Amino acid sequence: MTRSDEILSTFQDIGEMSLRNWRERFPDYRPLGFLSGYVPEELFHAAGFSPVFLLHGREGCGHAQAHLPGFTCWVVRSALDRALSGELSALAGVAFAHTCDAVQALADLWPRVVPNPPALYVAMPHHLAAPAARPYLLAELQRLRERLEQITDRALSDEALRESIALHNRTRALVRQLYEVADRLPAPALHTALQAAFLMPKEVYNPLMADLLDTLEAHAELALAKGEDPKGSPKFLGSQHHHRPRLFVVGPELADPTLYQVIADAGGRVVGDLLDLGQRYFARAVGETGGPLEALAEHTLAMLPTPTKYHPQRRREAHLLDMVSAGEADGVIFARQKFCDPHGFDVVTLKTALDKANVPHLLVELEQTPHIGQMRTRVEAFLEMIGA
Amino acid sequence: MPKYPRLQSLKAINRVMERYYVKRKLMARLKPMAYVTSGAPVEILETMGVLTLYPENYGALCGARRDAVRLCEVAEEDGYSQDLCSYARSHIGAVKQPDGAPLNGLPKPDLLLCCNNICGTVLKWYEVLADHYSVPLFVLDVPFQREPQSEPHAVQYVTDQLEALIAWTEEVTGRRWKPKKFREVLALSNETVSLWGEIRDLGMHKPSPVNAPDLFVAMAPIVALRGTRQAVQVYKGFKAELKARVADGVAAVPGERYRLLWDNIAIWYRLYRFFRPFMDAGACFVTDSYTNAWSAAEPVDLDDPLTSMARTLLAVYINLDLETRAGIVADLAQRFAVDGMVMHANWSCKPFSLTQSDIQAAVREQMTLPTLMLEADMCDSRRYNNGAIRERIAAFLEMLG
Repeated sequence: MTRSDEILSTFQDIGEMSLRNWRERFPDYRPLGFLSGYVPEELFHAAGFSPVFLLHGREGCGHAQAHLPGFTCWVVRSALDRALSGELSALAGVAFAHTCDAVQALADLWPRVVPNPPALYVAMPHHLAAPAARPYLLAELQRLRERLEQITDRALSDEALRESIALHNRTRALVRQLYEVADRLPAPALHTALQAAFLMPKEVYNPLMADLLDTLEAHAELALAKGEDPKGSPKFLGSQHHHRPRLFVVGPELADPTLYQVIADAGGRVVGDLLDLGQRYFARAVGETGGPLEALAEHTLAMLPTPTKYHPQRRREAHLLDMVSAGEADGVIFARQKFCDPHGFDVVTLKTALDKANVPHLLVELEQTPHIGQMRTRVEAFLEMIGA
Repeated sequence: MPKYPRLQSLKAINRVMERYYVKRKLMARLKPMAYVTSGAPVEILETMGVLTLYPENYGALCGARRDAVRLCEVAEEDGYSQDLCSYARSHIGAVKQPDGAPLNGLPKPDLLLCCNNICGTVLKWYEVLADHYSVPLFVLDVPFQREPQSEPHAVQYVTDQLEALIAWTEEVTGRRWKPKKFREVLALSNETVSLWGEIRDLGMHKPSPVNAPDLFVAMAPIVALRGTRQAVQVYKGFKAELKARVADGVAAVPGERYRLLWDNIAIWYRLYRFFRPFMDAGACFVTDSYTNAWSAAEPVDLDDPLTSMARTLLAVYINLDLETRAGIVADLAQRFAVDGMVMHANWSCKPFSLTQSDIQAAVREQMTLPTLMLEADMCDSRRYNNGAIRERIAAFLEMLG
C-alpha cells in the first residue's frame, strides 16, 4: 500500500466510524457535534473542543419519527435519530447555527427531547449585508464565547482563539490545495479526504492531509518527468485518462459517498463543488490580524453564502458560472436533499443561469437511502450526453 | 343536513377584500406597489402611501379557489420541487402564467419587502421575485427569538434595519417619510390588532359565536389592511355581529357539544368542507393558533415606535421558541375551555409543523387534551387523503364521546 492509499484508507475508516468510537480513536480530544455550515468551529476549538460535523448516516433507528413529520429532510431526522439512539452521548454538546427552518426546528426541540448532549445555539444574520449584521453577529459570538467560558469554567482568551484560527486556516489552505489536484483524484477519494476534515481533530487531519498532498505532488512530478500529462495522473485515474468529463457538484453536504462513486464508475471526475460543506467552506482564510472575534464575524459575512442566506452582491449563480468556467467543467450535477427548501429554490436559480450559459446539468434527488440503480443510469446517460 | 347560521360580516369582509384587489389593479400605475410578507411592518409602507399586496394571501386565494394545484404544476415544470411551500409554488405559477390564474395574476410590484420572521422560504421566494421583475428588494432580517423575552442586541438589530427600511423606501419611491402620518397609521394598526383580539376572544363564550373557518375568512384584513380605516370599520361590524350572537345565544355550531382548538394554517381548498363533520357532531373550533398570531402582540408604543415595532416583529408566534409557543397553545386551551385539539401537519409550513409533536407533548404536561394530528397541505390538495382523514376525524369525534 502506498502512503497516499494508506492516508485515504485512514480517512475512509473515519468516515465510516460510529461516533460511539470517536473518543477511543482520538483519546486526547473532546468531541463536540455541530450541524450547519455556519457554526464558528474556531470558538469551540479554542474552548477545548474538537468540532465534529453530524453527517447523516443511512441507518436510522426510527426514534425521530415520534418527533418530526415524514416531510422533514433526512439530514435533520438522522441527527435526531442518532441522538435518541445514544450514539452522540460522548459528545460534549451539539452546536447549531441558525440556517434553515428544519435545523432551526431541531435546535428548538433538542433541549426538550435530547437530555444529552446539550444544545448550543448561535443565532446568525440571514441578510449578510444588512446594515447592522456585523455588530449583531459580533454580539452573538461574544454571547457564545461567554457561554463556553461558563461551561468550561475557564477564560477563552484572544490568544487561544488566534491559535485556533491559525490551525483552521491551515486546514483551509490544505483543502484548497486538495481542490487544486481534484481532477487528478478519483471522485470518491476527493470526497473521503474532504469529509475527513469535518470528522476528526484538525491537529490530526492537517499533517495527514499535508502528507497526502505531498504524495500526490510527487506523482505529478514523476508523471511530468516521464512526459505524461500530470492531469491524468496514472496512479489515481487509471490508464484511460482522456475525455473523462469534468463535473461540478452542487448541494448541501454529502454524507453519502454514493454519488461520487457513481460518477467515478461512469468515467467522470469531480473538479469542484458548490456544496455547503465543500469548496466554499474552505475558500477563504479567517483574518489573523486584529481582534479574533471580529475576524470570525468578518469571515462569516464574507463567505459565499449558502442558500439559507441572502447577500445581494454575492450571487451564487455568478460564482457557480465563474467556477465552472475556471475549472473547465463539462457539466454540473445538482445533488438535492429531498425536503430541503433552501436548495430546492436555489437549484432553479442556478440551473436557469446554467441554461443561459449552455452548461449541461443533471438533478439527482437524495433521500435517506439512495436509489443507486436509478442514480447510476441517470449519471451514465448524462456523462454520455456531455461526452458526445 | 343541519343548517348553520351565516355571518353577514364575512360578506362585508369579502367585499372589502375584493375592493382591495380591484383598487390595486387600478392604482398600480399611479402609486408605487410593494409585495410584502405576512409578518412585515406594513405600517411603514402604508405611511409612505405605498400600495401593498401579499403573495401569501394570494396563495391562500389560489388554494380557496382550487386553482393552486394547476399553478403549482406550472412552477414544478420550471423545476420547483413538489415539496416546497405551496403558497410560493402557486404564486410563482401565477407569475409565470397569469392568464386564468385568480384575478389574472397580481399587478406587478415596484418594490419588495421580505421579512423572515415567519420562515426562511420567503427569503428564497422574494429573491425569485426580485430577479423576475428586476425590482429592488429589502430583506428585513428578524432573528429567531429563542427566549421568551427579546434580547437587546436582537431588538437593536431589527430597529437599525427598520430605520434603513424607511430610508430605502424614500429612495426607491421618491416619497417623503412623515412621522405624523406614521403615528396615525400605527394608531389605526393598534386599533385593528386590538379589535382582532377582542373578536377572537368572543370565542370564549359558551356556546361560541364563531368557528375557526369563519376566522380564516375574516383574517384577510388583519393581514393585508392593518393600519387602514377600512380594517377598523369592517372589524367593528364583525365584532358587533358576534356580540349580538352572544347576547341572543346564537351558536356558530348549534347545540355546541365540543370545543376544539385548531393548530397550523388553514386547509384552504376545503375551508368549510373540512370542518363540516366536526360541525355535524356539534364540535366548534373556538380558537386557533393561526389567526391568534395577529392578536398576541402588545400595541406598538407610539412614542418609541421603531423599537417597539422591532419587539413586535420578533415576537410573532411562529418566530418564538417551542416552550413559549406551547405555553401560548396551553393558555388558549385553558382560556377557551377546549375539549381537544386538531393539529394540521402542513407539508408546506416547516416552522409550524416540525415542532408540533413536541408542542403537543409540552401541552400534555400541563393538561389532558385529546389531540388529532392530520397530515395535509394548506394549498396542494394532492396531499389530502380524503378517505384516511375522514376516518380519523370520525374516530377522534367518537373518542371525545
